[in-house]
Parts: sequence; structure tokens; C-alpha cells
Amino acid sequence: MNKRLVAALVLALVPAVAFAGAPAPKKEGIEGKGYVWNAQEGEKIEALHKKGDVKAGQEAYEICGACHLPSGAGRPDGTFPQLAGQHTTVVIKQMADIRAGLRDNPTMYPFAQTLTDAQELADVAAYIEKLCIPVDHGKYEGADAAMQVAKGKDLYEKQCLECHGKNGEGNKEKFYPVIAGQHYKYLLRQMTEIRDGHRRNANPDMVKIIKPYTNDQLIAISAYQSSMSMPGAMCKAKPGKKK
Amino acid sequence: MKLLPIVLAAAMSAAMLSGHVQAADGKKLYAEKTCSACHGATGNKTLMPDYPKIAGQNVKYIEKQMLDIKSGARANGNSAAMKGVMVIVSDEEIKAIAEYVSKLKP
Repeated sequence: MNKRLVAALVLALVPAVAFAGAPAPKKEGIEGKGYVWNAQEGEKIEALHKKGDVKAGQEAYEICGACHLPSGAGRPDGTFPQLAGQHTTVVIKQMADIRAGLRDNPTMYPFAQTLTDAQELADVAAYIEKLCIPVDHGKYEGADAAMQVAKGKDLYEKQCLECHGKNGEGNKEKFYPVIAGQHYKYLLRQMTEIRDGHRRNANPDMVKIIKPYTNDQLIAISAYQSSMSMPGAMCKAKPGKKK
Repeated sequence: MKLLPIVLAAAMSAAMLSGHVQAADGKKLYAEKTCSACHGATGNKTLMPDYPKIAGQNVKYIEKQMLDIKSGARANGNSAAMKGVMVIVSDEEIKAIAEYVSKLKP
């Protein structure tokens, strides 16, 4: 009797606690034995099956734009990624993963949490995919940039190109992200986190490939990736605006 | 002796520079450093019910909390969410933001 009462009380309290901005849930990711990458379940599947409404997505994106900017450009310092032109599948998967506690991101989590449902997720993703990719993103800026880009191109073509594409276009059906137009610092941070097992929703196939890479190699690959350009998807440079 | 004018000029421009950051850029920084995303455009409408309204808060208190969250000295509550963005805010900018926020209407 008492136990039941306690259970009832706990259940009654849970939603209230969850709404008060509780820390993100933690779901077993790449660190666990039973981890399946991109498991076909949950809100992600629901959102993927819905038709995204670009107009509704534009409205919902207003909240995202405070950090990722109205253009989707994010920040060259790598804190907030460039989003414009990203595949709907990728945006939906990453958002659902953050919401489910599979990708740790304390800054993003409360925003992901306030998103209402699978339909809104599909809407925002549809809007983001339609945006052109800004061309003035953060690149590798060292004096040895040309050398790094060349070295990175070599490495990229050996092992990254097969999945991420010649122009960094990724693969929408396979949930592989667009990386063309992404900030150098963000690319480097994500690759490092994936290599070191900190990005818990990573694809184990990629982790296996990236494991042996040194920090220097990742710098070179990021330098090359941030120099890539996807024909037809990039924004046109604004006339008269000096760089 | 020859160096004195240069030193003076440097000191003056540094003082002017910091003064400039504080006076003019608090508002701009508040939006640019994404404070508004969580604390609202006017510092009194928060994204989550357990985030603080900050408009009109004591300037020293705002500054100290930002510095402590940035350094990790404060790690309780929702600090983790804010720590992620503090890497892009310099101590100088913290001062300017604190100044601006403290003058917002509560």
C-alpha cells in the first residue's frame, strides 16, 4: 500500500521535474555494448515520415536563429555549427539524438527540449535544408594553409570521400551530413570528439576509420573540408560587400 | 625617455578601447554572444522556467557569475548550458555585458 502510494507520488512528480529543465537524459551510446547506430526507432522515424512545412519551419527557426543566426551560418569560432543546406535527415537525426540523450550538448539541449513535436522537427529541418550555404565561413587561417589543405585533400580522398562525397555533399539517404561550408573549428572539434569516443551517437564505422588519425592529420583534413564548395548549394556572394 | 610618449599613447588607447567596449557594445554583445537566446531579448523572458531573469540585476553579481561559470568555479544548476558559450566571451566583454544587463528594466 505504502509502496504504491510512493510510486504514484513519484510518477506524479516526474513530469513536473522534467519540465523544470532537468538535465538531459542519458541514453546508451557508442560506449555501450548494445549500441546500434541510427536505430530505426522513436521520434526520429516519426519526423522523417512527416512532410516538413517550410513556412512553419521558418517560424520555428526563429529560436534557432538566435545562436545559429537567421542565415544558418553559425559562428566561425566553432561554437555553433553552420546549418544552412543540411540534409533534413541529418538535422532530424541530430535533434532527435540530442533530445533523447544520445548526443551530449548541454547548451543545445534546452532548445531541443522546447521543440514541440515530430512535426515541428520536420518543419524546421525542411526550412534549414532550403537555405543556401553561406560562403564566408571559418577556414584554416595559418600561414601554412595551402600546405594543410593539400595534405588534407590527400587524406580526405583516401578515406573520407567515399561517404562524405567529392564536394562534401554527404548522403541524405544514409544520414551523412553536408560538410561543405562548415566551419573549420567545428569540423576539427567534431572529428576529434568522434575519434575519442565523446560524440556518443557517432557511426562506429566512422570511428573505426578515424581512430588512427593524429591531431595533425585531423587539422589538415578540417582545413581541406572547410575549403570545399558544393556547386549549386552555395549562397551567391553579395555584390558590393567587401570581404 | 624616448619611450614615454609611446607608452602614454598605448595606455591611453587601451583605456579608450576598454571604455569604448563598455559603453557602446554591451547591447550588441548581448545579442551577438547569444545571451538573448536563453535570457530573452530584454533580459526578463527566459527560455526555460528555471533560468534566471537578469534585467536590472546587480552589475557585480552578473559579472561574477559569468566569470565563475566561464572558469568552472560555478558548475551547479544550469551552468553547464551557459559554459558552452562562455568560451566566446572575453573578460572585457563580460564587463560590458554586465553593465548593459544591469541597466535593463526588470
